[in-house]
Amino acid sequence: MNTDRADTAESPQLLTSEQRAILDLVLNLIVPPSADGRMPGAAEVGVLAYLLAEAQDALPVLRQELDELDRRSRERSSRGFAALEAAERKLLIESMRAPAPSFMSRLAAETLACYYQHDRVLEGLGMEARPPYPKGYQVAQGDLSLLDPVRARGKIYRDAP
Amino acid sequence: MTTDVDVLIIGAGASGAAFAWSMADTRMRILCLEQGDWMNPADYPSTRRDWEVRMDREFSPNPNLRRRPEDYPINDGDSPISVLNFNGVGGSTILYAAHFPRPHPSDFRVRSLDGVADDWPIDYATLESYYALNDRQMGVAGLAGDPAYPPHEPPLPPVPLGLAGETMGRGFNALGWHWWPSDTAIATRDYEGRAACVNLGPCKAGCAQGAKSSADITYWPMARRAGVQLRTRCRVREILVDENDRATGVVYYDEHGVEQLQRAEVVVLACNGVGTPRLLLNSKSARFPEGLANRSGLVGKNLMLHPWGMVRGTFDAPLDSQRGPLSCSILSQQFYETDRSRGFVRGYNMQVTRGLGPVATARIGVARGDIPWGEGHHEAFARRYGRQIGVGICCEDLPEESNTVTLDPALTDSNGIPAPKITYRLAENTERMLRHGMARGIEVMQAAGAWDIYSDGPVRQTGWHLLGTARMGEDPQRSVVNAWGRSHDVKNLFIIDGSVFVTSGGVNPTPTIQAVALYVADEMKRRLANLFD
Repeated sequence: MNTDRADTAESPQLLTSEQRAILDLVLNLIVPPSADGRMPGAAEVGVLAYLLAEAQDALPVLRQELDELDRRSRERSSRGFAALEAAERKLLIESMRAPAPSFMSRLAAETLACYYQHDRVLEGLGMEARPPYPKGYQVAQGDLSLLDPVRARGKIYRDAP
Repeated sequence: MTTDVDVLIIGAGASGAAFAWSMADTRMRILCLEQGDWMNPADYPSTRRDWEVRMDREFSPNPNLRRRPEDYPINDGDSPISVLNFNGVGGSTILYAAHFPRPHPSDFRVRSLDGVADDWPIDYATLESYYALNDRQMGVAGLAGDPAYPPHEPPLPPVPLGLAGETMGRGFNALGWHWWPSDTAIATRDYEGRAACVNLGPCKAGCAQGAKSSADITYWPMARRAGVQLRTRCRVREILVDENDRATGVVYYDEHGVEQLQRAEVVVLACNGVGTPRLLLNSKSARFPEGLANRSGLVGKNLMLHPWGMVRGTFDAPLDSQRGPLSCSILSQQFYETDRSRGFVRGYNMQVTRGLGPVATARIGVARGDIPWGEGHHEAFARRYGRQIGVGICCEDLPEESNTVTLDPALTDSNGIPAPKITYRLAENTERMLRHGMARGIEVMQAAGAWDIYSDGPVRQTGWHLLGTARMGEDPQRSVVNAWGRSHDVKNLFIIDGSVFVTSGGVNPTPTIQAVALYVADEMKRRLANLFD
């Protein structure tokens, strides 16, 4: 599934440019691109469009969380979140999630749902980017001779009066 | 007013479908009212890329989350286990896992054998031929020769073990414990016009292939061809009764929300262990001020839910464990029969389940802290995806009168009909059983070679098995229906769903629900000349 097109069309109306920049940084903190380039970062898979289509109720809280992240960053270092070094961003989010694990947890859950349905991700995992139906999957029947010791031990149920 | 019928069945799920098919040969006028609709397999999640997300939304088994127009809300705030169901032709078989083990002969004799609860008024031998008939009608896969059961032969070969099933089988063997390929209601070969299973995976979101034996594609086509009428989007509000304590019909809301009266000679309830007591309690009258057929005071009591424990292990080797029927593979009944040295009576079934899809693997892994944000995310995901196996612990739940379905004083469905409220606690015996089961689940995971193991129980979203709330028995003071499903109080009212269970056994109840429905139908046919005496 690919939501990139809708992302570029709709996102300016949903978040300010500052919020959008912070969101992209946060998304790649949740799922960064892999070092070998095989797996994209979460900022590359159309999360905002996914939220718009599938989880609009998450947006008000998301805006508050992005603003809170930026405010705390300025409070601590006089710089906005986007101006921090990567390691500083990671530390700041960790320090905010430690006492309040629910902070950005909805964003993380929706991001993972979007990410692990995306064509590039599934192909990066070596899977076909398709629904299960109609092709299905092959599963080995398995070795039923493994049941021999179970058979050898015999009946284990009780007779009833 | 609509045309009178001879037999009115309320509910088109597992029991209503089997009963309708069996009764069709009487050539009576038979009508089934179902509050849900026909399902279109092309709409099932597995036909789409976002199948994992849709499983949690419009195909969630929890009606409070699913919120389809045909659903009714359930107040489950006073229970650690949420009630799960589906409302549509086929009922909860649309979303069930199709894990289809029979109970043991001892499950019908718990008072005689173990000194707890009550014996059923019927036994395994009474139902044995109906289990076999139901296996053929539904299309059940399995392997003959299981030493945990009296001999029986499923009509279809078992679902594939896969590497995951083999891995767990070796684990059970290392401990010297029983295991066997599960009986499953899945067509593993082309069967009666249905195509064979192709291992789509998410059986619990409806089977687009039509290989899973849901009642809409097994019994219902046969019953309708034989003349049974099925009317959908019809929600029954109450059952009417006359001054002679005879049911005369029902009042229901049709698909347009218009109130209708349906008269019938016989009324048959097939609404499951929550829907049936809800309807009886909503059918109060001067003759039955505490609810219809409730002079025993037991309607809605003795709710049993099969508390469920889950153990999940991660293995080093790639197992492709996410492929194949999610909840059907192998089972173990090593701890099914009573052994008092364990600290509890009765026992549990261990149900091996396969791995999860990529979204669920990632979400659970991140929520548990096993898969981190940022650095290491991809490596941690890769170490888990396709390499995880589950063991579910299905505990026998003994009847407790304090575990109930009542009417919520405020909550209603979209037609204004009072909704059910669940009050439920795990008994101490069940708590001990659950802890024992999860410990054994961890043990077998270790024996099978898992390196990362976690457990949880009771798992909240597992209240599939709705049993015991209109129990059968010979004594009208201690039961709601007799040994063949007829109400003690209302001689032309029958109950055929899981409500009639006296005890729950420790296995998925659908084979027994359907066997009882077929048995009741045969008993009614046998007694047609004096059915109401």
